[in-house]
Amino acid sequence: MLIFRSIISIFLREYLITFRNFYNVLTVIVFFILGVLIFVFAIGPDKAIYSQIGIGIIWTLILLSTNLSLKKLYQDDFNDGNLILFYISGISLELIVIIKIITAWVFFQLPFLIIIPIVCLILNVTTDKIILLILTFIISSPILTALSSISGSMNLLNNKNFAIGSVIIILFSIPIIIFSVNIINSTTVLVTPQLNILLGILMLFLAITPWISATCIKIAIRNK
Amino acid sequence: MFKIFINPGQFTKFADFIFKPLVSLSIISLLIGLIFIFFISPDDYQQGSTVKIMYVHVPAAWLSLLTFFIMTIYSIVALAFKIPFGFIINTAVAPIGAVFTLICLITGSLWGKPMWGTWWVWDARLTSVFILFLIYLIIIFLRHSFTNLEVGEKITALFIIIGSINLPIIKFSVDWWNTLHQPASISKFSSPSIDPAMLWPLIIMTISFSLIGLLLAIVRIKSEILDRKQLL
Repeated sequence: MLIFRSIISIFLREYLITFRNFYNVLTVIVFFILGVLIFVFAIGPDKAIYSQIGIGIIWTLILLSTNLSLKKLYQDDFNDGNLILFYISGISLELIVIIKIITAWVFFQLPFLIIIPIVCLILNVTTDKIILLILTFIISSPILTALSSISGSMNLLNNKNFAIGSVIIILFSIPIIIFSVNIINSTTVLVTPQLNILLGILMLFLAITPWISATCIKIAIRNK
Repeated sequence: MFKIFINPGQFTKFADFIFKPLVSLSIISLLIGLIFIFFISPDDYQQGSTVKIMYVHVPAAWLSLLTFFIMTIYSIVALAFKIPFGFIINTAVAPIGAVFTLICLITGSLWGKPMWGTWWVWDARLTSVFILFLIYLIIIFLRHSFTNLEVGEKITALFIIIGSINLPIIKFSVDWWNTLHQPASISKFSSPSIDPAMLWPLIIMTISFSLIGLLLAIVRIKSEILDRKQLL
């Protein structure tokens, strides 16, 4: 019972932190919209182009905004000593990583579900593609959160190279982007197998991420 | 005998012992290979003399994969059994693998221009090898972005283990997808679909490339060991 109470208290803590800094989440969404605007300025206002490449633009910007919001997933907790308290609290670090991933997904990724259909309408994407896009977003965004958890925990003690965390996220997100964009642009026969592959990648990352992140956090705590 | 792979002192002794024979062997095999390529091996009936790019392209590609495989094995061993020699190997060998991958990419695009008509296409094999090159670069950068050396080594080893997902993708990319790049001509389970007159120079060049790679690796590993002795 004690474990459940501590899990719930960690959830509440994350909720409070996110709710008090709610402008953080809103800023990331504004970044997403501004990115779309920049693409429109860079390519031109021709609507026929956007029905072809709109999905690619949206996925690129989702990736970049995930990068922006979740790159320092553990950094604040590590700097003010909260991770050490989690480490000695009796709950395993792997479980804490899972909780952090779930909360980060709920608070930083789910708000995109509201804004994605609006952006799709602006970019002239058809309705059946919007439904597929939301489906792939629900499957793929936990993978992106898991990737940022990996890179965030890897770079806890990194104080020289500020860009390498984003590079790691973008490198490992290549297969996700390939399948997510291909599903929407391919024929109806090929949708289900590619969705299955994406689900497989999700299961793989949910399985390996807690171990990798917990190992990296342990290395960082012991060498602080 | 087994200790030369995990013990720096034993490795240094063994490396000093085999260094001079290795130098002479690699020079001889490289000379024989070059003579074979330029004077004995025939031109292809379709590709003409551009087929001779293969004798550099294929060994470099094999060795880039082999280097990453060795790094993966040593990372697992070093993290699991706490053997720091694996970290030395990772640090020393990563730039060699990056250079081999770069040679493979450059010769491939030089070969692709006359044969396929473009320097570069985004097919599965080319893209995955390009990602391998980026992974090598990130390994080198990641190692240097920590002030604490020990942490940097461990994090880099973890990154290498995750990045080895790319190896089977490169190997089977020509079988899984319909690519412009041809599938492997030489496989273990069937007789090779390449003429012996071209197979022998390829084997000699592969041997000489691996000897040269081993030579560079030995020099780099020895200097890395000396570096760490100074830190103590």
